[in-house]
This record gives sequence, C-alpha cells and structure tokens, in this order.
Amino acid sequence: MRLPISLLCLTLSIIPNSRAIFADDAYEIDYHHQLLGIPQTHATFFHRPRPLDKPTLLYTLSDLGVIGAVNPATGEIVWRQLLAYDKVDRPGFFRPVEGEGSVVSAIDSRVDAWDASNGKANWGNTFAGTAKDLEVMEKAAGAKGLKDILVLFEEAGKSTLRKLEGATGNVAWEFKDESSDVPLQVSTDVKSVYLVALHGAWGGYNVKVTVLDPATGKKTTEYTLSTKSDVHSAEDVLLVGANSAAPIVAWTDKTLKTMKVHILGKSGEQSLPLKEVNGGISNVTIHAPHLIQSLPHFLVHSQSPTSNRADVYHIDLTTGSITLAYELPQLVGQGAISTSSQDANVYFTRFTEDEIIILSSISHGILGKWKVTLEDDHGALIQGIAEVVKKASDSYAARSAIVTNSGDWVLVRNGAEAWSRPEGLSGVVAAEWAEIPQFESLVKTLEEESHSNPLSAYIHRVTRHIDDLRYLPGWLEALPVRVLNSILPIEVGTQNTRVVTRDTFGFNKLVIVATQRGQVIALNAGNKGSLVWSMAAQAMSSGQKWSVQGIFVNNKQGQVEIYGTLGDRTILNATTGEIVGKHEEADFKPISAAVAVEDESGTWIMPFDLQGKSIYDVPSNLAPSDTIAVRGPDGDVRGIKFEIKGTTTEQILQWSFLPRSGQKITNVVARPAHDPVASIGKVLWDRNVLYKYLNPNAILVTAIDDVASSASFYLLDSVSGDVLYIATHEGIDTNQPIPSALTENWFAYSIFADSLSTTAALPGSKGYQLVVSELFESEFPNDRGPFGAAENTSSINPSDIINAEPAIPHVVTQSFMIPEAISKMSVTQTGQGITTRQLLCVLPGVNGIFAIPRTLLDPRRPVGRDQTALEAEEGLFRYKPFIEVDPKYVLTHKREVIGVKDIITSPALLESTSLLFAFGIDIFGSRVSPSAAFDILGKGFNKLSLVATVVALWLGVIVLTPMARRKQINLQWMS
Amino acid sequence: MHLKCFLLLPILSLVLSAHLRFTIPTTAALNPSILPPSTSATLTTLKTHYSAPLRSDNTFDFRNVTTGSYLLDVHCHTHSFAPLRVDVTVGSIEGVGGEMVEAWGTFRGNEWGNKGEAMGVEIEKNIWKFPVRAAGVKEYLVERAGFSPLSILKSPMILIAIVSMGLVFGMPYLMDNMDPEMKAEFEERQKSGGVGATAGVQNIQNFDAAAWLAGTGKDAKKGEAQGKITK
Repeated sequence: MRLPISLLCLTLSIIPNSRAIFADDAYEIDYHHQLLGIPQTHATFFHRPRPLDKPTLLYTLSDLGVIGAVNPATGEIVWRQLLAYDKVDRPGFFRPVEGEGSVVSAIDSRVDAWDASNGKANWGNTFAGTAKDLEVMEKAAGAKGLKDILVLFEEAGKSTLRKLEGATGNVAWEFKDESSDVPLQVSTDVKSVYLVALHGAWGGYNVKVTVLDPATGKKTTEYTLSTKSDVHSAEDVLLVGANSAAPIVAWTDKTLKTMKVHILGKSGEQSLPLKEVNGGISNVTIHAPHLIQSLPHFLVHSQSPTSNRADVYHIDLTTGSITLAYELPQLVGQGAISTSSQDANVYFTRFTEDEIIILSSISHGILGKWKVTLEDDHGALIQGIAEVVKKASDSYAARSAIVTNSGDWVLVRNGAEAWSRPEGLSGVVAAEWAEIPQFESLVKTLEEESHSNPLSAYIHRVTRHIDDLRYLPGWLEALPVRVLNSILPIEVGTQNTRVVTRDTFGFNKLVIVATQRGQVIALNAGNKGSLVWSMAAQAMSSGQKWSVQGIFVNNKQGQVEIYGTLGDRTILNATTGEIVGKHEEADFKPISAAVAVEDESGTWIMPFDLQGKSIYDVPSNLAPSDTIAVRGPDGDVRGIKFEIKGTTTEQILQWSFLPRSGQKITNVVARPAHDPVASIGKVLWDRNVLYKYLNPNAILVTAIDDVASSASFYLLDSVSGDVLYIATHEGIDTNQPIPSALTENWFAYSIFADSLSTTAALPGSKGYQLVVSELFESEFPNDRGPFGAAENTSSINPSDIINAEPAIPHVVTQSFMIPEAISKMSVTQTGQGITTRQLLCVLPGVNGIFAIPRTLLDPRRPVGRDQTALEAEEGLFRYKPFIEVDPKYVLTHKREVIGVKDIITSPALLESTSLLFAFGIDIFGSRVSPSAAFDILGKGFNKLSLVATVVALWLGVIVLTPMARRKQINLQWMS
Repeated sequence: MHLKCFLLLPILSLVLSAHLRFTIPTTAALNPSILPPSTSATLTTLKTHYSAPLRSDNTFDFRNVTTGSYLLDVHCHTHSFAPLRVDVTVGSIEGVGGEMVEAWGTFRGNEWGNKGEAMGVEIEKNIWKFPVRAAGVKEYLVERAGFSPLSILKSPMILIAIVSMGLVFGMPYLMDNMDPEMKAEFEERQKSGGVGATAGVQNIQNFDAAAWLAGTGKDAKKGEAQGKITK
C-alpha cells in the first residue's frame, strides 16, 4: 500500500492546480471596489483624449494621489496611475493639455505627462523639491511642436521655475529665485510668464510678481503689490488666474467687505465690493476660465454657512478695467460653482442643494435648469465640476460630476443621475471583522425550555411552533427559488443588499472599515462587499487624516469600538452604524497602543499612552492576568504586569527589550488572536513525530540599522522577555519594506538583500528574499525537549532548577528568492486550524495578492538532492532557491488591486475556508481554501447533471419495465 | 521616474548619472502596446531604488541613474519578464561622458556574479538603450476539469464493458439470424467443448437483461432456460 499513498502525497504536494483559482470561481467568490479616492475639484476635468474625436473622458487627481480617467457614460475606470500614496500631504496638480491627447501631473517631486487615452507615460522627470504649481503654456500662433509645461518648485525655501519641453520633458530653461519668497503660483498669458510669490514674513505678505520671457526664461521685470495688511498666509490669496487672456491675482480685505483684483502685467488694483450674504460671508472664491481663447470673464462666489450668492465680472482687455456684468441671486445652502468653456464662450454652472443651473458669462439669462434627482441617498452635494455643451442654437446639455458628503462621486446628466462611484470607501486605514448579530437565537430558547418543568416546557414549545407558522407562507414562497438556486449554476432572484443575515457557511460577515476621512463603513463580505451602512464618525478638516490605532468588535453586544492615535474613541452599533458613545474630552492623550485584555468578566480595551503606561487607572477587579507587551518611549519593547494593590492596581515593568545599539525597532508582530493549532506535532515519513514549539506568548520583533544596512529579527517570549531566537542579515536595504508574519510554530519575513562586496563574504545574490523559519521543541523526533511530558509550563520558571535557561526552540530556516517586493504579510485563519495555512503577501509591483502554499515554504525541504519516496510521502520536495510568483496562486487574478495597506483574515464556519479582506485605496475581498475545499461542494460538482442522471435512469426503468414484462410473457407463451 | 532615495557614496566625485532607456521590442509573442498602463520597471540596488512607468513608445525611461550594479525588474500584471543586471560604471568610451553602462541577463537564486547573455547596448544622444524581453504570459485562472460524456468513453474499462455489452445483447440476435445448419453446428460445438469453460459464457448468453431490470428474478430465468432446452 506504500506506493499509492506516496504517489497521492506527491501529487498533492506537486500539482499546484488543486488550490488554484478556477475560472468559474473568479469574480464569483471575490469582490473588488476599484477606487480612485475623493476627486479634488481643482484637478478634475473633462478632456478629449483624442483631439479630433468628440468623446471626452473625465479625469481626476484624487486626494490619495491617484490619477485616473473615467468613462463619463458608464462610470468605469479607463486607466489609473498611483503616483504617491501616503507620501505627500497635499496631493499635487493635474492639467489637461488642450488640443493634444495628453494630461500632465505634478506631485511631490515628479512631473509626468500621460497619454490621455491609455494612461501610459509620455515622459517623466524628477527634480529636487516639491511641486507648487503646474501650468501648460500656450503656443504662439503658428508655432510647431507640442505645448511646453511650466512647473514651479519649492526647494529649501527657494523657488525654481522650470519650463519643460512638451515632447520630452527635458528642461528648456530654469529660473531660480534667490530670495526666500514663498512661491505661490505661475501664470501665463500670450506674451509673458508670471511668477507670483509672497514677499515678506509670515503674518504680512506683499504679493511679488516676477515677469519672465517665455522663450528664454530671463527676468524682464518685477513688481510688488502692497497687500501686507490683507494677506497673512498663502491661503489668503484667492486666485491667481491661470492661462487666461487676462490672468488675475485677487485677495480680500480682512473683513470680507471688498475684494481687490490685480490684472497681471497691468498696473494697479481694483476694488470690487462684496455684497452681504445672510449669515455673514465666510468664504469667497473666484472662478475663471483656464483657456486663452476664452472670454476674460470671472465669477466671484460668496458663501456663508447658510446661503450663497455670486457676481460675474468682465475684464476689458484693452483698458484693463473690470466691470460688473450681472449678479446671481442669493440662494439657500453653500452651493458650488463650476466653470466650463467651449471655444470663446464661458459657462458657469451653479449647483444648489437640488438644482443645477447653467448660465453664460455674457448675460444673466438662464440657459438650462434641472432639478437633480439622485437614485440613492448620496447625502448633500459638496462640490462639482460640469461640462456644458451647446447642442443647438438655444439648447444646452450639462454633465456634472459632483462629490457628495457621503463620499460618492455622482455623474448627473441634465439633472438625472447617470452613475455613482463609492469613492468614500477609499483610503481605509483600519478594518476589522464583525459577526452579524443574531437576535432570535434558537439555542437560547431551547435552553430555556430544558430548564422549566415538562408541562410548561411542552406548552411553550407548542405555542412557539404555532407562532412559527407565521413564517410558513414566506418559507413556502421562497422554497422554489431556494431549490432552483441550489440546483442551477446561476443565481435566481436577487439578494437584498441592505438586509444582512448569517448564512450556513459563515461567509456572511461584516467588515467594519475606518477611512482616513473619518468615516466608518460596514461592508457585507458575503454579498460582494456591498455597503451595509456608512457613518461619519470623526470630523476631519482638510489635510488632516484620521489615524486609527485599533478597531475592536464586541460581537456579544454588537458594538464596535474605534481608538484613534490621538486618543479619540468612538463606539458604534455594529448593525446600524449608530454612534452609541463618543469620548469627547478636551485633553485627549495620544495613545501608542490599544490592547484587548481579558479579565474574569470578559474582554475590554486598554489604551496605553506614549510612555507605555495605561491611560486609565485599572481597578483590581479588571486587572488583566497576563503580561502585556507594548512599545516603550525609548524605542524599546516592554512587558507590563498589573499587580493588585487593594482595590487598585500598580503597573509594574516586568522586562524591557532593546535591540543591539544602532538598531531601531520598526515592527512587532504577535500570533493572531485566533490561531488554533490542530496538531502539536508533525508526523514524519518514518512515523516519528517532531513536536512543534507552540508558544502563545511569542512575539517577533524587527529591528533595522540604517547605517550598517542590517536587519535583525528577534523572537521574544512576551511573558518573561527572554530572547528565543535571533537572526541578523547584512546588506539589507532598510528603505524597502520589511514585512513579517508569525503564526502557529513558524514565522516568515521578507527583505531586499544585496550581495556583500567584502571578500570574506560568500558570493551573494541581489534581490528580494523570503525567509521562513519553523520552530520545534527539539531537534530530535519524539523528543519534547526541556518541556518533557509536563502538562503545564511556565515561561518565567521553565524548569525546576532555579534560574534555569529558558527553553530554546530548535529553529529550521530556509530562505528563498522572490521576484517581487512584499509590502505586507498575513496568514489565513480557519476555525480549527486543521487546514494548512497560507502566507498572504501583498505585491505592490504587480498590484496583486500572492498566496504562498505552506508546502512550498516548508523549511525542511531537502537541499541539493531530490526527495526520497518517503519524504515525498510527507509532502517534502527538493529545495529550489527561487519561488516564482505563480499566477495561479495570485488571489486577485486579473484584477489590479492598488494601494493595499493590509490584509485581514477571518475563519468561516467551514473549516476549509478562510475569508480575507484587503484594504487601502482599493478594497478587495475573497475566500481561500488552502487545503482545497474539502467540506463544500464546489462548482465542479454539477448538481444538474446528477439530477439529470437520476431522471434518465428512472425514465429507463419506466420504459424498460413493460418491455421486459412483454418479453417474459412471450417467453412463457413460446415455451 | 521617481527617485526614492539618494545613493550615499563616500566618494562623490565617482558618482555619475546616466540616462537609461529600456525598450520592449515588438515580437511575434508580444505586441507591447497591449501591456497595461500599470506596467513599470524598477532598478534596485542597496539603498537605491528607481521606478519608471511604461511609456507610450513601449520604453522605460530612467534619468540620472547613479553608478552601481542594479537589478532591473519589469513588473507587469499580464506578462512576466526576465530580470536583467545593469551596471553603471565609470568607464571610458570615446565621445560619451565618462559613464559606461552594461546589461546582462541574470538568474534569480544564483550569485550576483553569475552573469548571463550580454544585452546589446546602443547609445543615442547620451541615452543608453537596451531591449527587455517578455518571458511569457501570466495565466491566472485554471479551467475546472468539467464532466464530459466523451471522457467516460475514453476509459478502457468502459470500452471493455461496452464490447461485452455488445456481445451479450448481440449474440442472441446473431444466433437467431444464423441459418439452421450453422446453428446446429455451433450448438454442437458448444456442447462438445468442456462444460466448465463454456458454462460462464452460456450463463452470460442466457442472461436476460430485461428480465433482470424488471426485477422478475430467477423464476423467469428458469422458464427461459427450460425453453432453450425444449427447443
């Protein structure tokens, strides 16, 4: 019998297809929200990707640093590029190159031109400093070639203006401003380039305009506008009109009574009165066209918290005078204005709470007015941009892309919603699983019945059954659909997305996510990640990001508790999203960690401050019995214990761990909270057992040394603080991500390692490495090492001998080269831990999630020789130093999931299956069966053909029975 | 192109910067214009990491690459590419600055000194140009081996079963259609042949599948057997 078993093992270990993603499962078991982030109004526009063709695409640069093109007809993403995520606070600039099929972006230190139709780069260039403004220069009439780009950089307080060639991105000229003025913006008209900067000190600036020659970049003149009393910071300058025929600079006085406008290149400034708005003006904005051929008109929009009004002004290009053309009446709500231009015409689109009005800049006549009807509850409108098209002499059409306060991006075509994108789901900073609360628990009722006397229990039961009859019609009604659903391969009938119920397999779970914009959203993992509820939990001012320390779910109470790093705390109802409680204290203490601790009454959350001390005084009845490991203030990891002193407790430092000098701790991982192990040993091919070193208190600490380019990994026992294992790698790029994961009796980490140039070193390799270590109690089979047969062990006193050394595990390690950087690692979780685990790795290079089977990562794979038949029986096969990213194991398959920050996993009720949820910019969720789906009938099991076979057999019997009977009778007669 | 960090070399005078451009040639296997816009290339060595997106002319453009020995990876969602080793060194080629750029194929999991085939380098306007070739298409999804009736027919066991079924059902008809002389001869031969050897065959021949299916058991069979004997 040996041979077939070994063959089976061999096939299981070598044939990869058993756990690959099947074509009919893909897009069924997984879901993906392709997102961009919330579009920024100043970097959102409609643009023709092919100048000769009519269709336009909608382009945006989001607050997360993603640029993308969206099909305005369907809302689908045409292309997108992740430029800078988590790097810059103020995502940069994005402009169309009118009349050419390209768009230009400037973010952080890079400037790129992109092909507008397919999203590939035309050119790219990088400079020192940060981009402060980006403009496309208009060509002089009749000039050949592509339009040049002007980029303003700020580097160490000095500003540099560069003209880049439109075809190559090479620098055509460079203008360095040696003064330490604050660079503001760059603007051009046909004749000159204007560099606008703020001169002076913080609190009182004058606007300085430097005029440059567009061909050479030489300074022609320079002048200063005295604005010291009005302009205190860069935000006080309202607008520096970009590429229009008459670019302007505008600012208001302190009291918001008048606005001063200066036309660049002309002398003097003009005061324009700002009329009173109900509730007092709180904000003034200017909207002007961005095209040189457009009429030099602009609109001043005055907003108060409750209402808004606007004035339209015309500039006379010859005299440089500004005249009021008409006024827009005051309307309720903050409203929003967008400018669009077609040829010379300029159109203003005014968004109110429920209407879209388009006007021409020439006269006050309303060209089009639509009542906005949105299909879903998107919330109130915040901002929008519009494209106005003149259809006939007097009919206009408008497409508006508006952002609502729930974070939806909605395209409204003449007042009717065409599509909406849930961009509010992007920028998730933390996520956690939650069980769907079950209100009617049958188990509870049955328990109740068993405790009462037989008669009353019987009566209770009968009444319950009679009561249950209410559901019978509904159940009968749903029966055909259920039967059909279970037989047919396609789904019949649709699920209601908002009603969430548990299912038999445990696939329906809530995922509670917190976004950097302060929103908390619940998604149903069982129903393709559909939105269940959304709640604005924290009010975030622009530029501020919500940093979440931890989300804790109390499934018993159905509550979600969210701790922010600033010390803010929000409690929500898991089913409805209602805010149950909020920690509203003026003296928030920033927290370094929030730890779920267990006492006799249950689990509760203990926040720690930056000093590694508990924020609250812990009463003795709530004192956690375990030692808690937290990051200390001096870059250390420390173990903390609470000792009971009467009714209160005292926090005692048990141990403190500092890495080697020069190293700093970058990461600490512990085993997942749910990490069951089904077998304490590993059965070898010779029927001996290697015992796993299973320490629930083990933590893996990563420490790096930037100067020496080394990284060390310390395995600690968090109760005693003992170091169980150290691995140090030299020649490590510490700027590259160093993710790690610890589970069961093994851990893994990934590094970028270079070959060392020293002669003493062995010839090394250059590339990303994945290192896997497995821990055993002893090197020898059937030996339990120092633990022996003891039922209980203690980390502090491992043996009877006083001051004995801790029990050190036997570590087996193998490292592999991998072709891609791993930015984050996670491990699958299943209910009982019988199913083997898979290492889930985020590959940012190919925008995917790679699930590496455990058999590939077994550090006991034979090195330098083929596996013997016996080893193959155990599932071991020859070590190969290189692990290819096998596309069959890429869980995201053809989907491109960008900006993944982390992956969380959760067990389903089925032992074979683990749920996973990846978040960041995009959202991706799926189910994995690391040991193949052994407890559920997959798509490969064709119920229809089974039923058909049974029916066919049954028909055969019916047909053949009379035939057989006839034959028998004939035989009888013939004999 | 995005410079993530600066090379920290002690001797700054040795640091030169080269402009590199990697081209994906159009081959029968791959038309590079179908590559997704997310395709990018990275040049990585210790403490230095450059990344460049795919350009519309199917190239990757790296400006200001400092001296060093780099690993070039092309990250693509749809195709896999072989890695390259790119060395930017201080060399001396006439007419071109002071830098020297070479590229070879490299093998993952081998030591860095183990270089493969050298890549053809072209210099044009101070830009060093190399080809990078795709190694293959990434096939993400596996077709599930579905049930097909034809696959059953391919099994030898089933083929044997079909042949024997044909014999069982076809034999009585053959017997019926034989002319009486041959039939008598055949029966004679059957009788003369050892009973032991032919009993099984006879049993099979006498087996009445229809009767068995109808569930009428042995009585019917007996009748049939009697009928045969009386004949």
